[in-house]
Amino acid sequence: MSDKNISPITIALSGRIDSGNAAETEKEINKQLSSSVNAPVILDASNLLYISSAGLRVILRIKKAHSDLTITDVSSEVYEILEMTGFTEIIKVEKAYRTVSVEGCEVIGEGFNGKVYRIDKDNVVKTYKNADALSEIQHERKVAKLALILGVPTAISYDVVRVGESYGSVFELLNSRSFSKILAGEPEKFDWCVSEYVKMLKKIHSIVVPKGELPSIKEKTLRSVMRMKDSLPDGLGDKLVKMIEDIPESDHMVHGDFHTKNIVLAGDEVLVIDMDTISVGHPIFDFIHMYDAYVGFSEYDPGIVLDFQGYSSEISRKFWHSTLMSYLGTEDEKRFEDVDKKVRCLAYAGLIDWGIRHPDPDPQKARATIDLWKTRLIEILGEINTLNFDLPAADGANELQIDAITENLEKVIDFVNKRLEAVDCSPKNIMQLDIAVEEIFVNIANYAYSPEIGTATVKVEVSDAPVTVTVTFTDNGVPYDPLKKADPDVSLSAEKREIGGLGIFLTKKVIDDISYEYKNGSNILTIKKTV
Amino acid sequence: MLTINKSSENNKAVLSLAGRLDTVTAPDFDKTVREVIPGITELELDLKKLEYISSAGLRVLLTAQKIMNTQGTMSVCNVNETVMEIFDVTGFSDILTIKN
Repeated sequence: MSDKNISPITIALSGRIDSGNAAETEKEINKQLSSSVNAPVILDASNLLYISSAGLRVILRIKKAHSDLTITDVSSEVYEILEMTGFTEIIKVEKAYRTVSVEGCEVIGEGFNGKVYRIDKDNVVKTYKNADALSEIQHERKVAKLALILGVPTAISYDVVRVGESYGSVFELLNSRSFSKILAGEPEKFDWCVSEYVKMLKKIHSIVVPKGELPSIKEKTLRSVMRMKDSLPDGLGDKLVKMIEDIPESDHMVHGDFHTKNIVLAGDEVLVIDMDTISVGHPIFDFIHMYDAYVGFSEYDPGIVLDFQGYSSEISRKFWHSTLMSYLGTEDEKRFEDVDKKVRCLAYAGLIDWGIRHPDPDPQKARATIDLWKTRLIEILGEINTLNFDLPAADGANELQIDAITENLEKVIDFVNKRLEAVDCSPKNIMQLDIAVEEIFVNIANYAYSPEIGTATVKVEVSDAPVTVTVTFTDNGVPYDPLKKADPDVSLSAEKREIGGLGIFLTKKVIDDISYEYKNGSNILTIKKTV
Repeated sequence: MLTINKSSENNKAVLSLAGRLDTVTAPDFDKTVREVIPGITELELDLKKLEYISSAGLRVLLTAQKIMNTQGTMSVCNVNETVMEIFDVTGFSDILTIKN
């Protein structure tokens, strides 16, 4: 066992290690290590040119005696050998960073945290202003890989390089053009951009992320609002916090900075880049950052959007309007205004926090900008009591989050029936499942949150052999177990029968299994039917 | 969606239902029943084109039956198999006079 308190011993390897000198090298290394059995060992490979299998066996034996072994500054050639033989899986190996100069290279993108340079025809390097960029780069590489595996078309950096005093990550991007450049240079492609952009956003939002892999964007938003909430009058800050807390949790992916500079057309493929902000959460949190990029940042000074995106504020406002309408699947301006207002509420709060921490160099402009955001935020906070709204069910999604009101019954039934289309289900089975879904949803609508309005989640799952449909209803209303209610006596005459109390009884009769649990503040009712 | 066709002759009214009788449409049906019921002695409900019924619809049927028991007769006809099964499991096949 190594001891963290003992300083490591560094041994330099150089030249070639092969069958000719392996034994001699091993002897030399062991001599240096003999005095300290417990110390971590670092093999500095900066001057190592080649290692054969005889040399690898030496390293394995050292690893056996000294479990805390790291090989550092490994050249690409040696790294390839270590990777091929599986050594990178059992020993910590740190690659040597190639140095890249960006002097005279074309800047193809500039964000808040760094610049992107084109270093040759097919490759770009993304540099970071932060001197401690290595951890940022490693985070982005890790989450981008995860996103790629989960189905997001993105560019993965294939190399980390030294750029001056900091680091950069290198991407291969063939013939790429950002959507910002396309919108600025080819206005006739506006509709195409809207359509591809929304398609990509929905794809990201349809992805369920395994627990614990990505941070929650709702928590990040709450942290930002906690910083600024006391600058709002009359308890409005607390109202805002409460409304954010009421936004439904979600394990679906959000990008966190989904604007047109981060969507690129590479060849004929649309890719998303800048994955460092990906998180899990409700789609509204992506809408916020979209609003920031298209309208929010430039709300006081519309010129900002031209500097940042390369197109006019008219185009950017139109793009925001068109993409949100398209995402919501609506042509109703009222529906746009409702969701837009909720998005703006959160966007202004975030912008105020951002503006306080990154003030404009011109103090007068800085104050005027923040004042404008604040005035509008206060106005909205006086008008709305919830940030929740209905989302269209994603194609293929098996979960619907919807306001629990009886007016939404048809949407719920349509959602369930769409899922049943894929199953070989008789009309009778469909009707019986619909009855169960109606009775339970209406129950939630009438009792769970009354007189307030809250959200219900309806999830449909289908399993094979025998084909069984499971529908799960979740709400965060008052705890209520409908199965506790006694069944009505169905043998009574019309005069003696009560008018109510039939819904849950009927549900039990038309499905095979029903169960209730109260967990983490949620009522969870599950029905199953073999079809 | 539910469509209700009304016809009446002397003291008899016939309501033909087509579509879905659920939480959303039951209030319309309830309203129609209450409009036609005063003064009649015979109410017939034709369910030939009724595809769906939930407890909200059953409640209206029960209310109508209770009223008609005091002033005449009520019958239900042309009930399809799936709706019939709902009547059976809820005991409504014993309460209602079903003529198929």
